[in-house]
Amino acid sequence: MAGTIVATDTPAAGGRKPPGRAGWLLLAPLLAWLACFVVAPTAILFAYSFCQRDELGFVVWEFSWENYARIADPVYLKIFGRSLWYAGLTTVLCLLIGYPVAYYIARAPASRRPTLLMLLMIPFWISFLLRTYAWISLLKADGLVSATLEMLHLIPEPLEILYKPAAVLIGLVYTYLPFMILPIYTSAEKIENSLIEASMNLGAGPWRTLAHVILPLTKPGIFAGVLLVFVPSIGMFAVNDLMGGGKVDMIGNVIQNQFGQARDWPFGAALGITFLALFVISFWFLHDRGEVKRT
Amino acid sequence: MKHILRSLAVAGATLVAAVGSSLSAAELNLFAWSEYVPQAVLDKFTEETGIKVNYETYDSNEEMLSKLVGGAEYDLVQPSEYVIEVMVKRGMLAPIDFAAVPNFKNLDKAYLNLPHDPEQKFSIPYMVGSVGIVVNTEKVKEPVKGYADLFSGKHAGRIVTLDDNRELLTWAFYFTGQDLNTINKDTMAKARPVLAKWLPQIKIFDSASPKTALLNGEVDLGIVWSGEAAILFQEDKKFQYVLPTEGAHLFIDSLAMPKDAPHKKEAHAFLNFILRPDISVLISADFPYTNPNVEARKLLTPEQLENPASYPAAEDAKRLHTFRDIGRAAAEIDKMITDLRGGS
Repeated sequence: MAGTIVATDTPAAGGRKPPGRAGWLLLAPLLAWLACFVVAPTAILFAYSFCQRDELGFVVWEFSWENYARIADPVYLKIFGRSLWYAGLTTVLCLLIGYPVAYYIARAPASRRPTLLMLLMIPFWISFLLRTYAWISLLKADGLVSATLEMLHLIPEPLEILYKPAAVLIGLVYTYLPFMILPIYTSAEKIENSLIEASMNLGAGPWRTLAHVILPLTKPGIFAGVLLVFVPSIGMFAVNDLMGGGKVDMIGNVIQNQFGQARDWPFGAALGITFLALFVISFWFLHDRGEVKRT
Repeated sequence: MKHILRSLAVAGATLVAAVGSSLSAAELNLFAWSEYVPQAVLDKFTEETGIKVNYETYDSNEEMLSKLVGGAEYDLVQPSEYVIEVMVKRGMLAPIDFAAVPNFKNLDKAYLNLPHDPEQKFSIPYMVGSVGIVVNTEKVKEPVKGYADLFSGKHAGRIVTLDDNRELLTWAFYFTGQDLNTINKDTMAKARPVLAKWLPQIKIFDSASPKTALLNGEVDLGIVWSGEAAILFQEDKKFQYVLPTEGAHLFIDSLAMPKDAPHKKEAHAFLNFILRPDISVLISADFPYTNPNVEARKLLTPEQLENPASYPAAEDAKRLHTFRDIGRAAAEIDKMITDLRGGS
């Protein structure tokens, strides 16, 4: 998905001509990869979602709508709602924190940019699980954060934040922040200084320049960043399990449970397909609106 | 061109030879729980028999089942009791030839011929354990004897439990005096208000390593696997293990042979090997669950035997019961617990 987003937002040189024979040849590995690892598994999942589960938890190939009917249960709708809420909050926080960072890096002298970008990428060389465990030891009641704040007399008693929703939010924002910064950086880097100077010369203050020049020009980056953060964070389950103490269930946890403990693959598949459908619909919706406005 | 063809032919011949030799060498594909079979035991087995062990691990019974259904070829798997029942019903297991496993006689009869394998044809107990309460007696002064004390409300926010829906339900079933294997709408309706009161009191749900939160003081009480409790007790005697007065789950982790196991002879050799007392104690040293091997227990140190989490008093052990397969109810349990946890 990430690839499509970026591709559709940076207008391809020479318009939308269908690729020639050489083009198809070059595309072939990608298409084969997509067919094997995206289309085929999704098709299998789709087929499973209409199956049933037998007494012993094995998949029975008998057609049924039941799995989709079960999703409409308030229990699962509530969790869908919560996942949207957390993912939305994560996206907003990532945007608020990430935009200034991305802009700063983009406007920094060209010689310093690689270093700054490198600093952003270095944490990715460490396993995601290790980084999450590091957060656990930072945030726990006798951890570094709590102890420091206590020493500075900023809080009266140990900070009880781990295994609470706030910890999940911290984990999500931390995990996805770079996915917001990088696309915004890419579009902010392309802004010509002369445009900003022109805006200033014509009497717009810094705020009006931001609102009427910089923000509109970085819109493709913001759009890509929002999708790159929102989409994966809605399905996250590891951060919620580890930093939320298993108490802040999101839709990812429910799906994981169906393929694990509950041994109800068809229902898990139905949840997954519904989830996917929601993404595709919301992507089209956002994308169409973006297109209309730009032309 | 000729060169390329020739080197291809050489490569092909080498490949065939390599495959051929790996086919003739004795092998054993073991698929077992992660952190449950000491590497030293596997090395010793290879050293004595020349059989190479390919050890793959899983983290849940369900994961193991799906891989087997998916067609993976293993010679030995390590299911828990209610999963053995599923596999037997499904015809997924091969009967064990007990004549090839003379050390089977070392096992405690108390763990044999249980409902999941009534004729003891398909499985051999590996380690046995319970799910009970751990109390940090330095922090908690009042006695905690069962689920009622633990969830009285006094300890809210200081409890870690396993993250396993069926286990959670089972504790509420014991509390309400219901049979742990009779799971239907009525029995679940009775357990529901109990769990609704209990779940918000739990600070952490963690099946993988619940002892960590107890060790670093995040919580003071927990409901954990007995092996985890035994390790806690080894670390510090302040961590006392309590088998709840209301009753507790007894699990029998066993070894079993899938129907299509390609190396049945080697599998039998391995079964007999790990039932040898001198080998079995190596497992106990690393994973202090209850060793069902009576002869091996004679070789354990007094300290190991006095660990109440590994070897509970006979009186307490009477309150332990095994899980049966509960079929479709698993989905209902999942929905109920998901709903109740959603409230937090």
